[in-house]
Formats: sequence, structure tokens, C-alpha cells
Amino acid sequence: MEAPPVTVMPVTGGTINMMEYLLQGSVLDQALDSLLHRLRGLCDSMEPETFTDHELVYLLKGQQGNPFILRARRSLSHPNTPWHLRYLGQPEVGDKSRHALVRNCVDVATSHSLPEFLNEMGFRMDHEFVATGHMFRKGAMKIVVSKLSRILVPGNTENTERLSLSYLVELSVLAPAGQDTVSEDMRSFAEQLKPLIHLEKIDPSKQRH
Amino acid sequence: MSGGPAVRVSIESSCEKQVQEVALDGTETYVPPLSMSQNLAKLAQRIDFSQGSDSEEDGAEGEPRDREWGKQEQEEEEGTVKFQPSLWPWDSVRNNLRSALTEMCVLYDVLSVVKEKKYMALDPVSQDPTAGKTPQVFQLISKKKSLAIAAQLLVKGAEKLSKSVTENQENRRQRDFNSELLRLRSQWKLRKVGDKILGDLSYRSAGSLFPHHGTFEVIKNTDIDLDKKIPEDYCPLDVLIPSDLDGSAYIKVSIQKQAPDIGDLGTVNLFRRPQKNKGSMQPWHVKLEAAQNVLLCKEIFAQLSREAVQIKSQIPHIVVKNQIISQPFPGLQLSISLCHSTSGEKKNNRASPEKSKPDNHLYVLEHNLHQMMREFHKQQLSSVVMPHPATAPFGHKRLRLAGPLAYDKTEISNLQQSEGLLEKIIKQAKHIFLRSRTARTIDSLASRIEDPQIQAHWSNINDVYESSVKVLITSQGYEQICKSIQLQLNIGVEQIRVVHRDGRVITLSHQEQELQDFLLSQVPQLPSKVFNFWSSFLAVRSKSCRRATSSRTPSGATSEGRTKRSTGARWRDETSSTRWSCSWLHSLPVLR
Repeated sequence: MEAPPVTVMPVTGGTINMMEYLLQGSVLDQALDSLLHRLRGLCDSMEPETFTDHELVYLLKGQQGNPFILRARRSLSHPNTPWHLRYLGQPEVGDKSRHALVRNCVDVATSHSLPEFLNEMGFRMDHEFVATGHMFRKGAMKIVVSKLSRILVPGNTENTERLSLSYLVELSVLAPAGQDTVSEDMRSFAEQLKPLIHLEKIDPSKQRH
Repeated sequence: MSGGPAVRVSIESSCEKQVQEVALDGTETYVPPLSMSQNLAKLAQRIDFSQGSDSEEDGAEGEPRDREWGKQEQEEEEGTVKFQPSLWPWDSVRNNLRSALTEMCVLYDVLSVVKEKKYMALDPVSQDPTAGKTPQVFQLISKKKSLAIAAQLLVKGAEKLSKSVTENQENRRQRDFNSELLRLRSQWKLRKVGDKILGDLSYRSAGSLFPHHGTFEVIKNTDIDLDKKIPEDYCPLDVLIPSDLDGSAYIKVSIQKQAPDIGDLGTVNLFRRPQKNKGSMQPWHVKLEAAQNVLLCKEIFAQLSREAVQIKSQIPHIVVKNQIISQPFPGLQLSISLCHSTSGEKKNNRASPEKSKPDNHLYVLEHNLHQMMREFHKQQLSSVVMPHPATAPFGHKRLRLAGPLAYDKTEISNLQQSEGLLEKIIKQAKHIFLRSRTARTIDSLASRIEDPQIQAHWSNINDVYESSVKVLITSQGYEQICKSIQLQLNIGVEQIRVVHRDGRVITLSHQEQELQDFLLSQVPQLPSKVFNFWSSFLAVRSKSCRRATSSRTPSGATSEGRTKRSTGARWRDETSSTRWSCSWLHSLPVLR
């Protein structure tokens, strides 16, 4: 029996070519209320949505230098929703004038057996954390205000400890590659949030010491 | 002074106190110096009040002692005219006081004499007219001057007042603009871009996906003349709306018989709905609401026309200019049109006579269109769309389950929204039309047929796709005795379902004739029921019944019955026959 033909060409199109445009910032705990009020006024009029998520970061250490990172996230407040697997590529080093961080992004919804599957594939869990906070949207833009907590006992999401006294604010848009007007909209939205919070593009590669 | 060292000169007062006594031990007791009042008294004592500059003239009233003094003083005066002793500063005081005393004495004497009225009487002095001339002119001048001063003061005050009033008005206008802006901001979305104030009147934040920007600009109304009176409806704030949202619009949905010529389609006549401007609403509010309505109507029409083109149906929908035409039933035409009248066309519409014609506009469907559009918006924003976990992309919750639960194509297509706006509105139009035609059929039958009465009870609570009516066929006088025929009609989108009282379910199509025939077939069943009742009634009364025959005639039913009656001891054969006939053209069964 012949093996079914396997394509060796890389898959293009569909959801593979989605880029994530990202701006990040942080606010102290005291400023959270005013920020939420501001966002409620600026964003689409919906009931403010809170979330509690548990994220696990898996690494695949290959022979080459950089390990391959995959992020698995599940919702603790809605346990029946599927898990979410995410791959984030390297930030694009395009023109410096682009206002947001652009990187390739692949999102997949998976069933609840994701951790075991990843373990079987050879990934090892690097770290995990719990994120709680609020979500807003304005058109295609998503604003997530989250507080990160460290998990003390692996696997036990009840026992958590706050990592900092501030909230992480992320403004992100998922768009197909090549749309640069998106970053303009993001920048004008970020202008409206000043001086409460300064959203800027933070290159994760430059953060590593 | 140049020279040797400066000589120190010290000055001492030489007023030493007088020594009153020296005590045995050498202490000196001084006479205490005179105090101020004592000093003044001492000086005053030295003034001779009897002496005066006019004491020579009033010598008769002076005392003899004073006369002596006066002479002495005169001599002294002549001699010492150049020398001014210290007394002389008090001279004027002394003279004034003396003259005042003289005057007072004179006045007192005159008044006491006048009081007695024996030697002196008071008479009013007649005014000499010539004597007062110059004083009058002088009076006039003085009055004029004082009036001028008073007028000047008043004018100055009035100027100040008017200035402050105008300033106040200016301030009020300024404050009015800000307070109007505050009121505007409490109801509409505003943001400041540079030095312009822009607003957003689109439904995008409420979930719409229409690509219209919907931006309006707020400007200050400065074309006001301060000198003229401010008009009643003056508003310091004005809004500039985009030109394509100008005027007012509405969506007209109407059903009519099929137009014979399809080439006859043109722009639907727009007639302007009378704008009810409630006095309490701000003009900018009215403007903005009208513009928002225009935007919503445009969105609805764009969605309908998009669906009309994309969706495949048996009879294709026609989209012409501002009208969408489709055929819900054969021979029937549903037309949905966007009527947008801009403010520039106001004059044209005045001339058109369409205003009074109601033009079979189905307002219910127009309202439903608006409602469905808003529901669509709301669905876009529903929390079902917010992803959990937070990093997942936006999208319908169930669609995200497609991957993990391995849905196939049919299941996924079921998840997508099946019906569009156009299909929904066509179904609703079909139902409305079917319902009105059913009502018309039943009513025409009921008015035509007199013998059994047809009643229709429509239920108040209906669905957009379903209504129900209960049809009762009764005969007068026999309602309780024989249960009437009850039919429950459920009117759906394309069919009518009839549920009989005995449980039979019949489905009729939308044809009008079918319903009519069916109802007509139900009507004669009543008289036969009545007949059955009567025959059973009689059969119970007779002891024996030979035969009861009934036959149906083209106009009704006739029956014959023979009964035998026996009484008493002897058999008496009596036969009685009754013959009934009833037809559904007469009102009562006729007993013969």
C-alpha cells in the first residue's frame, strides 16, 4: 500500500498567515478603576466581561538554539469551552515607524486533552500562571486588562500568589498580513488612553537579560 | 560754621516750676503746673466779654463798669494799635459770642412781645414780584445746575448698568454654549480632534458593520445679532451632519397586485412624512436623530439589496434604484423601497398630491425591519462573541467548537445564520397577506349566509409567522342544544391548518377559493345536526316508531316519520306523520 501523498510545501493561506498587532502597558492597582471607566466609555457598549484563565507555556527544545514555544490556555470561569493553543512567531523587523508590535500568530481551538497531547509530542511545560481581569472590544481591537498570578503548587489553580501590584494591559488586533492601517487605528486608540496609561510596543526579545 | 571743634549748645527749658516751700530737710515742693483746662480757664478769665469792637455803639446796653473799661480800652487801642497782646486771638471769639448773645436777646424779646399780641403782631409780608426776579433766575440756574449734576450721576449709573447687562448676556451666551455642549455630550458621543469637536452618530459602537463613518461636527452658532432681539428658538450650538444623511428617510413596504408591465418600475414617489418636532427637544437633537434614522434606513436597505442579489430563490428578486421587488405569492408583488427626502426637496414635495394617500404602506413591516436590524446589531455585540479564554480570536462560540468536536460541513452550515433579513421580511409579509385574506373570506361568507351564523374569534396574541382564529357556525336558538361546529384555523406563512372539533386536521393551501369551499362545505352540516336532534327527541317520545326516513334534497333535508300512539285500554291505531324539511336558506326548521 502506498502511503497517501503528503505535501511537503508549507501551508499558506487560511489562518496561518494571521498577524497579531500588539501594544502593551501597565497600570497600578489604584488606577484600575479609572482605566476601566475610560475603557467602558471608549469601547463598544457591552457588559464588561471578566475572565479567569490558566495558561501553560510549553517548550520544545530542539538541537538548534531557540526552543519552540507553544501556549496552551484554558478558561477557569467557563470550564466547558475548548482549550486554546497559540503559537507566536518572532516580531517582524519591518520599518521602525510601525507603531505596534507585529508577529505571526496561529490560533487553534482544541479539546481538553491538550496537555497530554503536548506531553506526548515531546513538549515540556516551562511555566504556568493564572490571569484574571477584564476584556473589552472595539471593532476588531481587543483590550485585555489582566492580573497575573503565580501558581505555587503545580496543577493547583486555587493556590495563587500575585506577581505584582499592577495590571497588564494589552491592545491587540488579529488581521491578515499586509494591513498596515491597523496599527494606525491602534495608535489613535492608544492616544485616547493617555495619560492614564501609555501603551507602547515592547519587543520581548529585548527584554531578555 | 567753620572753625574749631563744634560747640555743644544745650537748650534747657527755663520754665521752672515755682517753688512753693522748701522743707527743713531741703526738699523743694513745687507748685504743680496748671493743667490744660486750668490754663484755659485762666486765659479765659483774662478776656473781658463786656469789651467788644461794637461796644461803643451799644453803649446804652452796656454796664457802667464796662463803659469805663470801654473808654480805657479805646485809649489803649489807639495807643497800642500796632501791638497785639495775647488777648487779641480771643478777640474774634469774644466778639462773635457777644454778638450772638445780643441777637438771641433781641429775638427772645421780640418773641415775648409778639406773644402778647398787644404791642406787636405778625403779618405775612407780600412778595414783591419785581423784587424776586433776579432771585428766580438765579434759582432757575441753580436748579438747572443741580439737575444737571443729578442727571449726570444717573446717566453714569445707567451706563454702568447697561454695560454689565450686556456683559452678562455675553457671559450667558458663552455659558449657554458650554451648557448646551454638556447636554449634547450627555446624549451623544463626542471627541475633540485638534480644535474641532467631532461626534459619532453611527451604530458602530452598538454592533453595526455598516462602513459609514457617521461623523458630525459641533460648531458655535455665531450668526447672532446682539442688537436685534434674540429669537425664541435660538441655540448657541449647531451641528453639521454629513451631506448624505441630510433630511429624513423611511422604508416603505407595500403589497400590491402584480404590476402588468415590469418596465414600469421607477423611483418610488417620495413623500415627506410630517415631522413632529416636539418643542421640548433641542434642534440639534432632532437633526441628529433624523440623520441617525437615515443611516439606519440606508443600512437596512443595503443589507436587503445585498441579500436580494446573493440569495438564490425560485423567483428572483429585482433590485431597481431604491426599490426591491419580490413575489411572495403568484399574482402578488411585495415592494420594499427606501424613501429618502433631503431638505432641499421640501418645495417639490409640497406640490405633490401624494400626501393624503396612505398608499397601503405596511407600517408593521417597516417597524419589524428596524427591529430586526437592531437585533442583528445586538447579536454582533453579544457576550457569546467574547472569547473564553481571553486570547482566543473573536468569533461565534459554537464555531470554535467545530474543531475540537469535529463538525462536518453540514453541521457547520447549520451553525451559520440561516435566514437573512430579506427572507424574514418576505415570510412576514406572506403571513400578513394570508391573514388579511382569510379574514376577508370569512367576513364575506358571514355576511352572505344568514341561516347558520358564522362567527370568527381572532386571538389577540399572535406570532409574526402564525395567527389563529376560531370559527363558530351556530344556528339561532340551537346554540346550547346541539354543539355548534367549531373550527380552529391556524394561519401560517403559506398554509392554513384547520382543526375540527372532532379531531380532524385538514391543511389548506393559500388559495382563497379553497378556504371558501371548505367553509361552505361545513355550513350545511349544522341543519343536519339540528334535524338529528329533533328526530332523536321525537323518537324518545313515541312508544314505537315505525319508520323515520330522512332524505337529503338539493336545498336541505327532509324527513318523514310515522309514529303510533296508543292510549288507554283499546288500541287505537293512530298514525301521525311528521314531515320536516329544513334547508339552509331558511331561518327555522319548518314543522309540518
